[in-house]
This record gives sequence, structure tokens and C-alpha cells, in this order.
Amino acid sequence: MSRQIRARRRTIALITAPVLLLLSVFYGLSFGSVPISLREIWMIITTDSQSAHDTIIMNLRLPRVLVGLLTGACLAAAGAILQGVMRNPLADPGIIGVSAGGGLAAVITMVLLPQLSYLLPAAAFIGAFATSIVIYFISWDKGTSPVKIVLAGVAVNALLGAVMNGIMVVYSDRIQAVLPWLSGGLNGRSWHHLSFMAPYALVGLGLTIAAIKPANLLLLGDDSAKLLGQKVELQRLLLILLSSLLAGAAVSAAGLIGFVGLVVPHAVRLIIGEDYRFLLPVSILGGAALVVFADTIARTWFDPIELPVGILLACVGAPFFLYLLRKRSNWR
Amino acid sequence: MTNTPSAIDLEKIEHEMGMFQLFDVTASVPEGKMTAIIGPNGSGKSTLLKIVAKLLKADKGDVSVQGKAAGVYSRADYARTISMLPQAKEMLPELTVRELIAFGRSPHKGMFKQRLTDEDNKIIDWAMKTMSIRRHDDRMFHTLSGGEQQKARIAMALAQKTSIILLDEPTTFLDISHQLEVMGMLRKINQEQGITIVMVLHDLQQAAAFCDHLIAMKDGEIVSTGNPQAVITSRFLRQVYEIEAKVSFEQNYPVIIPIPRNYEEDATMIIVTNISQITKGNGDKLIERFDRIGKVEGMEGFLGLEVLLTQNTKDYDEVSVVTRWNSKDDFQAWTKSEAFRESHTHRKTPDYIISNKITFQEVKVKRNPLPPIQQELAKEA
Repeated sequence: MSRQIRARRRTIALITAPVLLLLSVFYGLSFGSVPISLREIWMIITTDSQSAHDTIIMNLRLPRVLVGLLTGACLAAAGAILQGVMRNPLADPGIIGVSAGGGLAAVITMVLLPQLSYLLPAAAFIGAFATSIVIYFISWDKGTSPVKIVLAGVAVNALLGAVMNGIMVVYSDRIQAVLPWLSGGLNGRSWHHLSFMAPYALVGLGLTIAAIKPANLLLLGDDSAKLLGQKVELQRLLLILLSSLLAGAAVSAAGLIGFVGLVVPHAVRLIIGEDYRFLLPVSILGGAALVVFADTIARTWFDPIELPVGILLACVGAPFFLYLLRKRSNWR
Repeated sequence: MTNTPSAIDLEKIEHEMGMFQLFDVTASVPEGKMTAIIGPNGSGKSTLLKIVAKLLKADKGDVSVQGKAAGVYSRADYARTISMLPQAKEMLPELTVRELIAFGRSPHKGMFKQRLTDEDNKIIDWAMKTMSIRRHDDRMFHTLSGGEQQKARIAMALAQKTSIILLDEPTTFLDISHQLEVMGMLRKINQEQGITIVMVLHDLQQAAAFCDHLIAMKDGEIVSTGNPQAVITSRFLRQVYEIEAKVSFEQNYPVIIPIPRNYEEDATMIIVTNISQITKGNGDKLIERFDRIGKVEGMEGFLGLEVLLTQNTKDYDEVSVVTRWNSKDDFQAWTKSEAFRESHTHRKTPDYIISNKITFQEVKVKRNPLPPIQQELAKEA
């Protein structure tokens, strides 16, 4: 990629990504069992009208779209940061076990302590956080390496999955509420869910600004980053914590949605390169747009069934990921 | 030692890391000079450099930089004092040359500040000018040639504006003209800016010609330090590289003329060829039989063994086993040895062996040593 092409692509991406997000939001708001025109949506949001569609937009579609938007943004940001700090293209909250940690904590809360369900995001965050700490220390041996972190993550992921399945077998009578959540869905997400996750998500997304410089320096390699005065190990720990905060927020609201954190930053990187000043914002916008689009498709195209968006994303994401892997040989 | 103050002091450094070890390394690097660490592969040069750069922590011993213990500096402080060019093996992301060099400014900037100030840009321009790569300003780094890439990497270290620069084999993988260009540029930086330069070098000639001070290492120990003329001597070459050579200096360049080792001439050897005619399809059995015959390797005077076979042993009706010996006596001694007898008694010659013929050949081995280089040089002059 020459400098001119890269500059052009960056400009295009920085313009396209917000436009895509906007389109996805309008798509999500206006499509469904009752189509609602954009003008009407605008009226509903801006004025205090009491049209028949008011409830649909304000109580059903808008919170759902916003939860989807934040979920996608968080997952893409977490993936982009993890891929950078672990210098491994396979790093994704779903793959290295951070999501599973959050998921297990959430399942425990839902199944064993249903009266505390308002603590779901906190539980998921603590679960993701604890998992990332465990992974970090398992892989620590006079410093840590990206490969060790990913291997430890894979092992921890398997263990957590087993525990989660164990809980579901033992309490099979109570898993009705858990199942759709496990496959990653946004059905019935309300303002209530949004108000739980939004603080975590917004704090996490805000903190990603601080991730840009260390992530860019880590691209040069650990030694070079150290030689440029970076506390590489500390930064890696903090960035992993940041991505578990982001993953925890996403998991608590939308369950186990995979591939967003893997596919979105990958695709963006292919188009505009690895500079995190551009990669992070474009990935965040792209991830948000992807989840909102996918969720709208999942709930409208298969009427009367409402598909969990996680299933749709996996069906699209997994082949796309394989395509990326194959292409990677002549990529870098 | 000279009276120049030292920029870096190493005190009894001990380190063990896999096959690389450092023992009791005590040395100092004179301030404002160019120092080369030389020595054979695996002597611990790069390890030592990494310890100085705080990329590795020595098991024992102290590093002090400008009179202050290295441990006292924060990472960022250290990066403003010492910059280092590691061996060029990390994959770099897609960057323009200017973006790469701009990374050199990061130790001088805060956590969130990435935007370059006018001063930063001036320093980046200066670094590019010093390495004469200004024309590549906007090119993508990976489209440059190896030599230009190396200059860009050095410019990045320069942009750190440190008083000490460490370089790990800066000229390896470059052609001779780029090697000389890079060394010349480093020398100029050293002389004009007074920057202390320490590098690991493989090329003794360049080390001697461009550096003021040498630190010679072997097997993790320092064997000699001092100015090039004092360090590079015949004794040194014998001790460190295990070669016999004459050393003289022409201007600043050492002229190293290896003295050829004397090879033994006119040695004789006996080739014993054992050709067995066999019925077709029994090649495998014969090989297996040879396998069981007593050990030969331990025999005195035994030089080597060859078995001639085709790839498809089933088609073969002849197998040659060739052994080489110092003398006929040695071969005969083997046939009388315990090992041979053990393997041949109680064993009849199997019927698939039709006939068996042993021949002896005496061979004179004559090795021609290379003509003495001195004569060649004399002729050219």
C-alpha cells in the first residue's frame, strides 16, 4: 500500500464508517413488523408526539438499537486492543476466554442468584476481569509473550465452558432464561439494560484513547517499545484489563456474541493499515454498525422467528474469518 | 585505560541465558568515543548490549550510566539517555519513513500526546538529514532497500536525542558500500555531536578503522580492551578466533594475513572393496547381515564405510561394501578382532550369496596447501 493510497483509504474510511453507523441506526429503527418512515421517527424522537408508533420506537427499537450499538463498539474495540497487545491476530475476547469468564459470572448470577440480576454487568465485568488476570499470570514467566497468553486463554476458555455447561446441566430447570443469552441476542433489550451497561461501555470506550499510543508502539515489537521508554509489561496488563472491561460490558448486555472483535478490526486493518489512531475509531464505528445491521436482519428477515444476532454473526463471521486467514499469506 | 570519563561502567556482570553466558564482565565505555564490542559468534556480545540497554536484567553485577546506576533511571528517563538499534529482525507495520522516525520522539512525549511539535519535526528533519534519507521522507519504509532501511532505523534512534547510542550489528546484511557509508555516518555523528556510540561488530577491519576503543569477548568473558592497534594482534587472533595470522596496520586498517595450516602430505590409505554377487531380491537380507557384523568404528586405523546399492534393493544382484583404512595391517587386525569373530562364528554364509570377492587398493593422498598469500600480494604490488 503506498502512502497516497493509504491516505485516501483513511479519509474514505473515516467518512464511510459514521455514515454506515447512521444508516444502520435508521435501518434498525424503521424496519420491523411495523415499518415506520424516517420522518415519523424523526418526529417521535424530537417532539413529544403521542402517535401509535411512539411506544414501538421509544420503548422497543431505540433502546435495542443503542444496546446493539454499544455492544458492537465494545467488542470491536476490545478485539482491536487485544490483537495489538498480544501481537496475535487470533486474539479476540471470545477466543482467549475473556468473554467466557464474563459469561460464566453472568450465568452464575442468572441461575444461582436470580434476585441479583441487576448486578449482571458488574458480575460479567468481574468475571472477564478475573479471567484476564488469571490468564495473564498463568502465562507470566519473567515477562510474558503473546503466544503464551493466547495458549493460556484457550485452555482457560475450555475450562470455563465446561463449568458453564456443568451449571446448566445441574440447573437444567432454570436455563430457559439463559439459553438465548448464551447464543448472543438482543431480544427485548430495554432502557433498563442500556442503563446498566452504558456506564461501563462508555468509560471503556473513552479509555481507548489512552490505548492508542502504547498499542502503536507495541507494533514495533516489545524490545523497541521498551527502548522507546515504554513500560511494556504494565501497559500490556492495563490494556488487557481495559479490553476485559469492554468485553464485560458487551457480554452483560448481549450475551456471548463472537467474531465481532475478530472480524471487524481485521477487516479495517486490511483496508487502512495498523495505525491505531485510525484503526480504533473506525473499528468502533464499524463494529457498532455491524451489530445493529445484523440484529435488524436477524429480527426481520426470518419472521416470525427472531434469530439471536450471535448466531447470524457467527454464520457470516466464521467464513469471513477463514477467508481472511487464507488471504493472509500474501498479506503479511 | 585512558583518562576520558566513562559513559557506561559495567561491574562484574554475570548472566546465564540458555547457551549464552557472561562471566565477571567488567568494562567501561569511554564518553564521546566510538566503541566496538567484537568477538566470535556466541561470545555474549549482543547479550551484553541488551543488558546495557535494560532489555535484559543481569543475574549479578551493576551497570551504571553516566555515573548513575541503570536501575535508578525510569524507563522513560533511560530512553532519553540511551537509544538502541536492535538487530533488524522485527517485522515493522506499514509506515512511512517519517512516521517511523517520529516514533523516536515518543520518550519525550506524554501518555496521550502523540502530536509532534515544531521542535519534534525539526529534530526528525535533522535526523533524516544526518542519515541523508530526506528524499525518502514520504516513502513507505518497507519499499526502501536494506541499506536505506537501516539508515532510517538509525535516524529513529537519533531522533531520541540521547547522549549514548547502542547498535547491534548495524552493518550486517548490508553491501560493502552501504557498510562504509553507515559507519562513516556514525563516525560523523560521534565526532560532530559528541554522542557516545557502542556497537557490536563482526567486521574487525571496520571496528579498527572507525572505532576508538575495542572490547573483545570470547565465551562470555572479556579478553582484551583498548585501542584497536593494541587489541588486534596475532596473539589476539589466536586466542579469540583460533587462527594463526600476521597482523599489520595500513593507515587505520588492520591487514590480517592468515598463515595457512600445514596439511600432512603423502598420506596413504587402503581401500578394501568387498563385492558380493547375490541372487536377485535378497539385497535387504545382505544389508541386514552387514548391520550385524561387529562394530568397525572403534577400530584403530578405520577411516570410513560406504555401501553401494541401488534404490530398489529387490532388483540388485551385486552389493559393494567399501571400507577405508590407514593400512592393510589395520584391516587385518580387525578381521582377527574379537568383535569380528563373534559376528562370524556360528554363521554360515547364506546361500543367496553366490560369490564374494575382496580387493585391496592402496591410495596415496596428496593435499595441496594453498599457495602462501604473501607471494600473491607481493606479485600484485
